[in-house]
Amino acid sequence: MSVLEGKELRIVGFLCNWCSYGGADTAGVGRFTQPTDLRIIRVPCSGRINPLFVMKALIGGADGVLVSGCHPRDCHYAEGNYYARRRLEVLKGLLPVLGINPSRFEYTWVSASEGQRWQHVVETFTARIHALGPAQAFAGTTGPANHNRADAMVS
Amino acid sequence: MSIQDELKSAIMAALPDLSCVIGWGPGPEPLRAAPLFIRGEADLEGFTAGFLSVNNPALYLPSLKGSKVGIVAKGCDARSVGQLVTETLIKREEVHVIGYPCGGVIDVDKVAAGLADACEPGEVGALREDGDDVVLDTPKGEVRLAKKDVTADKCGRCTFPNAENADVFVGIRRAPAAAEDTYADIAEFEARGTEELKAFWEKEMSRCIRCYACRNACPLCVCRDHCIAASREPHWVSQADDVPDKLFFQVIHAVHLSGRCTGCGECERACPLGIPVLKLKRALSRRVENLFGYKAGIGTETPPLLTFAIEESTIKERDW
Amino acid sequence: MRIGVFICHCGSNIAGTVDCAGVAQRAAAYPDVVYSTDIMYACAEPGQDAVIAAVKEHGLTGVVVASCTPRMHEPTFRKAVERAGINRYMFEMANIREHVSWIGKDVEANTNKAAELVRMAAAKLRLNRELKPKSFPVTKRVLVIGGGVAGIQAALDAADAGLEVVMVEKQPTIGGKMAKLDKTFPTVDCSSCILGPRMVDVAQHPNITLYAYSELEEVSGYVGNFDVKIRKKATYVNWDKCTGCGLCTEKCPSKKSYDRFNEGVGPTTAILIPFPQAIPKKASIERDYCRLFNQGKCGVCAKVCPTGAIDYAMQDEIVEVKVGGIVAATGYDLVDWTVYGEYGAGRYPDVVTSLQYERMLSASGPTGGHIKRPSDGKEPKDVVFIQCVASRDPSIGRPYCSGFCCMYTAKQAILTKDHIPDSQSYVFYMDIRSPGKGYDEFTRRVQEEYGARYVRGRVSMIYPKGGKLVVRGADTLMGGQVEVEADLVVLAVGGEAAAGSPALAEKLRISYDGYGFFMEGHPKLKPVETNTAGVFLAGACQGLKDIPSSVAQGSAAAAKAIGLLSRNMLDSDPQIAFVSVNRCVGCRKCIEVCPFKAIREIDMRGQPKAEVIETVCQGCGLCNATCPQGAIQLSHFTDNQILAEVEALCRF
Repeated sequence: MSVLEGKELRIVGFLCNWCSYGGADTAGVGRFTQPTDLRIIRVPCSGRINPLFVMKALIGGADGVLVSGCHPRDCHYAEGNYYARRRLEVLKGLLPVLGINPSRFEYTWVSASEGQRWQHVVETFTARIHALGPAQAFAGTTGPANHNRADAMVS
Repeated sequence: MSIQDELKSAIMAALPDLSCVIGWGPGPEPLRAAPLFIRGEADLEGFTAGFLSVNNPALYLPSLKGSKVGIVAKGCDARSVGQLVTETLIKREEVHVIGYPCGGVIDVDKVAAGLADACEPGEVGALREDGDDVVLDTPKGEVRLAKKDVTADKCGRCTFPNAENADVFVGIRRAPAAAEDTYADIAEFEARGTEELKAFWEKEMSRCIRCYACRNACPLCVCRDHCIAASREPHWVSQADDVPDKLFFQVIHAVHLSGRCTGCGECERACPLGIPVLKLKRALSRRVENLFGYKAGIGTETPPLLTFAIEESTIKERDW
Repeated sequence: MRIGVFICHCGSNIAGTVDCAGVAQRAAAYPDVVYSTDIMYACAEPGQDAVIAAVKEHGLTGVVVASCTPRMHEPTFRKAVERAGINRYMFEMANIREHVSWIGKDVEANTNKAAELVRMAAAKLRLNRELKPKSFPVTKRVLVIGGGVAGIQAALDAADAGLEVVMVEKQPTIGGKMAKLDKTFPTVDCSSCILGPRMVDVAQHPNITLYAYSELEEVSGYVGNFDVKIRKKATYVNWDKCTGCGLCTEKCPSKKSYDRFNEGVGPTTAILIPFPQAIPKKASIERDYCRLFNQGKCGVCAKVCPTGAIDYAMQDEIVEVKVGGIVAATGYDLVDWTVYGEYGAGRYPDVVTSLQYERMLSASGPTGGHIKRPSDGKEPKDVVFIQCVASRDPSIGRPYCSGFCCMYTAKQAILTKDHIPDSQSYVFYMDIRSPGKGYDEFTRRVQEEYGARYVRGRVSMIYPKGGKLVVRGADTLMGGQVEVEADLVVLAVGGEAAAGSPALAEKLRISYDGYGFFMEGHPKLKPVETNTAGVFLAGACQGLKDIPSSVAQGSAAAAKAIGLLSRNMLDSDPQIAFVSVNRCVGCRKCIEVCPFKAIREIDMRGQPKAEVIETVCQGCGLCNATCPQGAIQLSHFTDNQILAEVEALCRF
């Protein structure tokens, strides 16, 4: 999938439905202007986010991956974000040895009322990814690009 | 009595209550011992426990669940047993661990390097330990190599040479090779920088033949037939022979083992292409140890990624 | 699959910065998309009808609507596609308003982003499966947390509708803040005269069980079937025996206890009935002040009690109840105003809070309804009211307007004149905020008829001089500084979320904002719902409000609970986890992490396997992220579905 060449980078966001997705909505309702790079995938809870989704995105060509969930103590499912915190924090240890700049991945907490905080998070993270520039593909792909392969799957 | 003989008596003593005891016996080549399943005295022929006892016999335990099994265990094998028990993948009461002091095991690739032009490792007739050296019979005569130069890397940083959770321990406990695992190898590797490492993995993974020997050798990979590497449901990796897909499988293996890997190194040892896949797991083990003070396979506390703390003293996720 | 894509203009909300027709055109090329169009208002009736017509005309089996946030209209469109004959889960939304058109003005970038979000939605939709809810029986009982006016209203409405109601109140009596008020604005009618009968109704209603001096200990379960544990705190008085005669309170020798109900205006006894109209009218012992508990000897109350109700060995008790719905009505507390050095930080006895002043005005209060200065008991002549104390003040983290202070200050100025005809009131204010029926007229009356002098400006300091307090402030209308010599200063202290609100929110699994107020489901359209099904909000716990609004919200919350529990069976959300037993190796990791104990181990031909308890699973997906072989999957958010979204975005 093409981003706007020269303008945007590919940033994938995984947001929990109850807090951060709501926070992003609140930012929208408040017309808090944000960079356009981010594409948000909605999941029920940050605890749903298998760290491998993050890796899939980074190896698949995302320039940055941002995860956001409910603040600790505020998880709609009581404990999901606590597990997410440990798993994502551990994941950060894998990126540098794989040859991926660990700054390309971050996670944070934004509540449904924190529209301004969401704007700040998006601005900060997008600026960080732009400073790093586009990620380079892992050489050695022979077949079609990821999404074309996915398209070919029988639905 | 030699350790070998003591182990044999311990095996025979325990065998009446067990369906089998897993140890090591003659392998396809003199330098490679193979797992040995001992069901009676006759099976003890060729039993060996020592420098060639490379394989991790804990690998077989989950599939033998339901009957009581004995294993002869190095310190690292015993950690795998401990982790399997902690995760309730096997029952402690169904395992009889016979421990002995391990002095390190062979790395055949290093022997190959040491032999240089003398011969291939497969052509070696026999290996004899002589003090700090090993002596190899080759078609071009005896080759003497320093034992430390042909010992597996993991043994140089071994902190648990004795099976800590053994039901029976034979011989005298050995001092560990290192006081603690400093993960210096990982720090050094990481210091090469992301750009170089990306190129490194591109090169290494281009050689991967997707044989999954790494997975098959891993005692903690218990999904076996249901491994997501081979499934379309869920469809995590395609079957394409591409570097990203092959690398992603290694990522899956490493992430699935985070907070669980005991560092036995069987994945890397089993790789027919010598791809250093243990590095990824060790990077995560270092992280887990730094964050949660957790070493897999020691003690019985819940693995850190299957639990949480409301306040995490070591995680500063709010700082950015 | 035959997918139809509908790109909503939302008037100019989306179309203003997104080329909707262009997005529709791009979407037409996505896999399995057979129909793609743009549409003015997808959510309006003609929009929904157009979607339904397209489904029928083009034989669509899945629908993508790109419009606003799914948190808003996903239920709307699910119903629409259902009307068209498609399973409601064969539908996906792309949020191109809140996440695209409203946050940037670059039409090219927005259009491209919108197209990609549609692509993601379509990619996921291709892997969606039909899901069907299951039915489960509901418990027709509602829990009301908090016995203030909002909670009382909710409880009575629900009880009158035939529901059983369990009310939990932290204090020994219900009535909340309103019970402390002397009169109410703008009618200046007697607070306890209108609230009192309602309190009695609660006590006497056959459908209401009241647990006073109790707190919510724990909540588990889910909508329709919550399991609630209530902690009945030890009162050291057996309420089954206590008749409320009050003899113990007369004889109690510990007469210097802090009087919580009277805001500390006067002292009270260690064993007490908070006020004459208390419900329940039962005595309880404040352990901190009781001589027996602190000095080891006394026992006077036990000796005088005619029914032998005193029980010093009483322990807290946990009561378990099952309820179908929960109304939180926990109200507010006054902000601690002593952070303000300029008002004396609590050093001057004649600077009181508005709520303390209410108790002084009240005929049932410690002064018998006579306004007396705390310092010398004299009747004040010059009374200064200071508004916006701890309201609209970002410096102490309270930037919001408390909403009711302007009005009650006006009321108190009127009452001051009524009590002391030769008195003069001064009101320092920032702005007068009086939107409400009869409110603005009221604030004029206090100035025009009662002669209260309103000074627009902030007070910079209060200092004692002789027997008086000098209030120095700015008069921004006249310009310059003013000083008023006051006999009494009343601070219109603002409100904040009741102490313990965040902890309660965590127990209820509802959200709360940065101040601790509970978050409603939607600021406009779901003002009393929360994002947790079956939990509703009433009164100031959701945001500060006055009595009429609290009562209205109490009724609204009750209506929501009544509506919910009017059904015998509820549909379960089918977005829950399921296990592929042949892939499950019985490693128990999912069981270990599930926050709801919704997974159990079963034995299948000698092999351990995981099994989801469908009515308990809440659909968080933690198990799914934990299972290494993906044997347990969360319906509608499976690994494959999320991977499809990731892959739709990936460049390589």
